[in-house]
Amino acid sequence: MSSSSSSSLPPCPKKMITLKSSDGETFQIEETAALQSKTLENMIDENCASTPIPLRSINGKILAKVVEFCNKHAEVGVDAESLHAWDAEFVNVEYTTLFDYILAANFLEIPTLLDLASGVVGDMIKGKTPDEIRKMFNINDAFSPEEEEEVRRANQWAFE
Amino acid sequence: MDPSKSRDSAESTRVIQFPNDVLERILSLIDSHRDRSAVSLVSKAWYNAERWTRRHVFIGNCYAVSPQIVARRFPSIRSVMLKGKPRFSDFNLVPPNWGADVHAWLAVFADQYPLLEELRLKRMTVTDESLKFLARKFQNFKALSLLSCDGFSTDGLEAIATDCRHLTELDIQENGIDDISGNWLSCFPENFTSLEVLNFASLSSDVNFDALERLVSQCKSLKILKVNKNITLEQLQRLLVRAPQLTELGTGSFLQELTAHQYEELERAFIGCKNLHALSGLWEATTQYLPVLYPACTNLTFLNLSYAALQSEELAKLVAHCPHLQRLWVLDTVEDVGLEAVASSCPLLEELRVFPADPYDQDINRGVNESGFLAVSLGCRKLHYVLYFCRKMTNAAVARIVQNCPGFTHFRLCIMKPGQPDSQTNEPMDEGFGAVVKTCTNLRRLGVSGLLTDLTFEYIGQYAKNLETLSVAFAGGSDRGMQCILDGCPKLRKLEIRDSPFGNGALLSGLEKYESMRSLWMSACKVTLHGCQMLATQRPRLNVEVMKDEEMDDGQSYKVYVYRTVAGPRTDAPAFVHR
Repeated sequence: MSSSSSSSLPPCPKKMITLKSSDGETFQIEETAALQSKTLENMIDENCASTPIPLRSINGKILAKVVEFCNKHAEVGVDAESLHAWDAEFVNVEYTTLFDYILAANFLEIPTLLDLASGVVGDMIKGKTPDEIRKMFNINDAFSPEEEEEVRRANQWAFE
Repeated sequence: MDPSKSRDSAESTRVIQFPNDVLERILSLIDSHRDRSAVSLVSKAWYNAERWTRRHVFIGNCYAVSPQIVARRFPSIRSVMLKGKPRFSDFNLVPPNWGADVHAWLAVFADQYPLLEELRLKRMTVTDESLKFLARKFQNFKALSLLSCDGFSTDGLEAIATDCRHLTELDIQENGIDDISGNWLSCFPENFTSLEVLNFASLSSDVNFDALERLVSQCKSLKILKVNKNITLEQLQRLLVRAPQLTELGTGSFLQELTAHQYEELERAFIGCKNLHALSGLWEATTQYLPVLYPACTNLTFLNLSYAALQSEELAKLVAHCPHLQRLWVLDTVEDVGLEAVASSCPLLEELRVFPADPYDQDINRGVNESGFLAVSLGCRKLHYVLYFCRKMTNAAVARIVQNCPGFTHFRLCIMKPGQPDSQTNEPMDEGFGAVVKTCTNLRRLGVSGLLTDLTFEYIGQYAKNLETLSVAFAGGSDRGMQCILDGCPKLRKLEIRDSPFGNGALLSGLEKYESMRSLWMSACKVTLHGCQMLATQRPRLNVEVMKDEEMDDGQSYKVYVYRTVAGPRTDAPAFVHR
């Protein structure tokens, strides 16, 4: 993803980018780390990064974690096993926080973080009943009882 | 008010609305049918995300739904498992030309799923035309598995070998196939390398060995190879040298004269197969050459000897080299003594199937009886799946067996001669099967046999709370037996009954039950056409099929097949099927 642009135009060492969260906190991040985000990469390419980049959909608490994730994954010389362990610890959080990681990773287009958090949420869905899933995601637009019965019947009669 | 608290409660009632592509990304990680069914019920958005991300669909009864309904709901299917005829078709109880032809499905799939990669069919009718159509229409087709299917010949396989350029799996098992020639194997393209699974053990023609050898050499990812019995030991040796990476092997015939040098070479070839965990074939294997297998046995978890009529001593020597065996299939020529050897050599055994070498031989001095089963239950405490064809059995033995292995999930005991009582007490076998359902609380599948009164069915109805499949033959005393099953057994999905005295009263007592089951089969019972019509009238969402045998004499015994469907009555029913 970011390899083509970074190899054609190597970033200066320690060049820093400033990010600004929805609640006004600012975060410094090295450009090499920020380039893991396709969204940020595009902004940097377009030279819009001279001033703090406003990220209106991500609050300070989450943005701090996203910056931490990008920094860790930009570190040189981390072996796969210890990075894996670090990742596991990183996503060992309340599921509402995981949802925020997913939304942030989706907005910033950070595939590693998106895959990591999506995988955990996918595992959490496994083995749950529809009601448990609705509760977990606070979903209110359930089917009408008649519609639900029809889907349930099709599932059981045809596909199980 | 504590501000942090109010924030928490806002957090816990926050509605999570993922963008569609994010939701689809998450759901694409969910594989099991059960989880996917649950997800589809969450909300309309989730229903849609689930159906767009569904790549695999399992259809347990091809008449419970139509291909059009499947295609409408799941637009992106790559892999289909489809089952057709009732299971009793394995015993020739379903008339020829009954249906379950795959072609109507393929026509819709060609239209809707041009990227289809995988098709697994069980008990379907598949013509050569269908196989040719399949080979031509699906450019990315990869895996074909045909299990207990009929209607095709090796000509159809020729088309698959010729045109499916990305084929990874060709698995042909137990089919009613017209074996015209072995030429199909020569039809794979010159530079073909993708095969991972090849099973043609059940075909009878000679194949071109040079073509097979070339195929095995070129396909470096080949993991499963099961050849037919025409392949000699010498040829097997050449194949093994070219494919030491195999994990599952089905050999050809073991009946051949080998020189000492050839024997050594074969032994060395088996030593080279370090990854083998499943072994089958071994046609006509005898003491003479079985030792050649010993070096490859150490890691075996599955040994299928259902084509090899081994004697007890031969089996004893072989299993002594298989300490990790989890699954064992044998013929009853191994006798009780052979099973005693299994009990002392294979402590990890989980599954045992004993098939009759000659089902029509009534001599109770041959085959296996209660002592072999009892020994295995003592030596193999992990045993949880059994299919056991025997000559005689006692209630006391069955009770001790389930005491030894209370974890049975599948218990299929077939005392071959119908209506046999306990061989010691002459009592019915009721208490034995009663012990099974009382002791084995995880029992999902049960096959009963021997002399059985309604009491057996009372026990099953009362205790078998997790039972999903029940097979009954030549058993029961009155309608009450079947009623007990239908009133109890909350998880029952499949009920198949033959030659038992259950009539309309029994059939109609299940009105409330059949919509929660996949199917009911009754043949040579006491159900009448009128009873079936009443069932069909009262439960219009059930298809009630009544088949009349031509040679039927008493005018009372029909074959009845009842199943729920979301597709309505089928349109391809032959004339002998009444609705």
